[in-house]
Order: sequence, then C-alpha cells, then structure tokens
Amino acid sequence: MDPSEVEFIAEKERVSIVPNFNNATVHLISGDVGPFRAGLPVNVPVWMALNLRQRQKCRILAPDWLDVDKLEALKEEEKASKYFTKMPSEHYMVVAQLILSAVEDDIPRIEEIRMAVKNLWDVRISKLRSSVDTFIKSGGSHARLDYLTTMEINSVRPLLPHALDFIDRLNKASEGAPRRDLSQD
Amino acid sequence: MEDTFGDDDFFSDGDGEPITAQKVLQTLEEAWLNEKFCPDLLPSQADYVECMMEQIQQMEENVNKLKKNDFRVEVHHMELARIRYTITSYLRSRLEKIEKNTAYILEQEALRGPENSYLSEGELIFARDFLALQENHCKQLVLQHVPPPFQDFMPTQQSLVPNLRSHVFLRAKKDVDGVVIEGDRDSRDEEVDLEENSQHIMQYKPIANFVKDGTIQLI
Repeated sequence: MDPSEVEFIAEKERVSIVPNFNNATVHLISGDVGPFRAGLPVNVPVWMALNLRQRQKCRILAPDWLDVDKLEALKEEEKASKYFTKMPSEHYMVVAQLILSAVEDDIPRIEEIRMAVKNLWDVRISKLRSSVDTFIKSGGSHARLDYLTTMEINSVRPLLPHALDFIDRLNKASEGAPRRDLSQD
Repeated sequence: MEDTFGDDDFFSDGDGEPITAQKVLQTLEEAWLNEKFCPDLLPSQADYVECMMEQIQQMEENVNKLKKNDFRVEVHHMELARIRYTITSYLRSRLEKIEKNTAYILEQEALRGPENSYLSEGELIFARDFLALQENHCKQLVLQHVPPPFQDFMPTQQSLVPNLRSHVFLRAKKDVDGVVIEGDRDSRDEEVDLEENSQHIMQYKPIANFVKDGTIQLI
C-alpha cells in the first residue's frame, strides 16, 4: 500500500479543535460532527481539522500523548518490553506528522516533540526488524503482531510477506528432495 | 435555513432491517482494504457501492442548495471526494484482479453458479469481453501462423492463478478458534486461536472463509 493511502486512512482519526465560529451539528455520511461553539473544544476528523485550520477557522489542540515527556516515557517502556507496547493512537506517526506540520506556531517545543516521535518510531522499527529476522530464521509461518500500527506494518510490506511466500514455495518445491535446513545456509 | 442533512436516511438490507449510511460506508471501507490485500477475488459488494453512490448524489443535491459561503459546503465536498476515492480504488483493485486472472476467475464463477456469484453484473461482462479480446488477439498475432495442432487457445492453461498460500496481515474482529495452518514436510499442521482484536501474519488460505464472512479484517 502506498504511504499516502495509510495517511488517507489515518486522517479518519479524531482530534480536538477549538473553532472560532458557531455552527450546528454537521451531518456527514461518516457520522455527525459538532455542534461548533466558538471557543469550546470539539472532536473532528483529522482531515477536517486540517482544512479548518488552513482556512483559519480553528486552533488544533494537540492530543495529550503528543508531548515530549509522555513520548519519552513511551519510548522507555518500549525499550524495556520484549513485545510491542500499545500506542496511544493507531496512527501515532501519521497523526503526529500531520498535526505538527499544520500547527507550527500553536505548540511550544515543537522540534523536541518531533524528535521524540522520531525516536519512538526508530526504537519500534528496529525492534520490528530484529523480530522479522528471528521470525524468518525460525522458519515459522505464523506470527502475532499485536499493537503494530498500520504504518509500521506497511513498512515491512511487501518484503516480509513476499519472503515468506518464497520460502513456502521453496519448501514445497523441495518436498521429496534431501532434507536441508534453510536457516543454516 | 432548515438543516437538510438529516441522518434519517436508512437503507434496507435483504432482511428488511434498516442500516445507516454510516454503516454502509464502514462496510465499503473494510471491503476496500480486504480486496486490496487479498490474493483472490472476494464477493462483490456492488449493492453497497450502488447504495453509497445514491447517497453521494443525494448529498450533492443538498449541498448545492446551500449558500456558496456556507462553511459546510467545503467540508461536505471533501468528504464526498474521500468516499469517491475509496469506491474507485475498491473497484479498480477488483478490475486489476479480473484482468490478471481472467480465466481462473471465470472458471471459479461458473463452479459457484449464478446464485452464489462473486462478480457483479458489469464485472462479469467485462471479464468475458476481456477474455474474448485476449483470445482474438492471440489468434491474430500467433495462433493462426502456427501449424494446426497447436492452434487451440487454452485460457485456463494460460491464465495466472492467484497464490492462495501467500501471506497476509490480518486483524481478528472476533475470537476465532482453531485455525489450521497446513504444515509442510518438515513441520506438522499448526493450530492457532485468534483472539479478538489481535493482529497476525499468516497464509491467506486457512482464513479465507473468515475474511468472506467478515470475522477477519485484512490490514
């Protein structure tokens, strides 16, 4: 899947905004949004928040996990855990990216937040790579991937499924041939 | 002005039970991702597509009644564009599969019979025409110039067959117990239980039916 499609999916996540106008509830096909009261926070999909922000009709409130200390804590937890830990958002990377680039001026310490998100991502991706390595070497054909976010899964696609398909084909082709252990070659 | 965007637009599925536009959209979004990642062609959701297209049209008419500077206009336009993208991308990925595995898909469709069909009416016509064009093309280009014993066009032998053993990423929407992954010569069959909301990577074949009945979502 193209990363822009992951972004497309992530844009359905909801964020809080503070509108500067009044309007009754808007009935979208995907569900109701609003009502909008100037100065009162309201939950809207990310794509709408970005659009309203562009038109200077609102201020975007960063989700509470989008904070240097919270992200550092998540990173430490991630480092300490053998498995993947649950992220505060199914699309933390994309949402952070979209919001941070839209709200340059509204959020203090923005560069630090960006670094913190990137660090968290790096820790998780390197963990993902080493688990993929162990998984392939173990010759398994099934693995559990709890708490991996869509963007992370997409980063090992198509390489991982293709590699597994190929191993599967080699195994089938070698049926009847003398036994050899793939992992030791 | 009166708010024209009531959420009282209900659709009826086969059992006469009303479902909301929101639910239709959600079904389509899930079908889109399933179709994108599934190696095989899945049953068509043509009814939902049609239903959503009607909904889009109705919404457009309503939006046109609004004043140009109403803030809702742009928001609704954006949403409609997003829904259109989902639908086109869904239909496209189906057509891609039909073009790639034409003969195989038509063969499977014939085995299933008309009451259990996976292709929509339009897709079926497209698949047949596509195969006929291929045959014609092959004959004109090559087959008529080779000696008679080799002139037969054999679609099922020439068409690609999807690899149902290919690996997919998935999320279980409900508990699924006892999925059996076929082992090869070196390993035995393996049985796994998929807990609700857990994510996995495994072969498509053992879970194919769960994708079709909606218990498992491909991701």
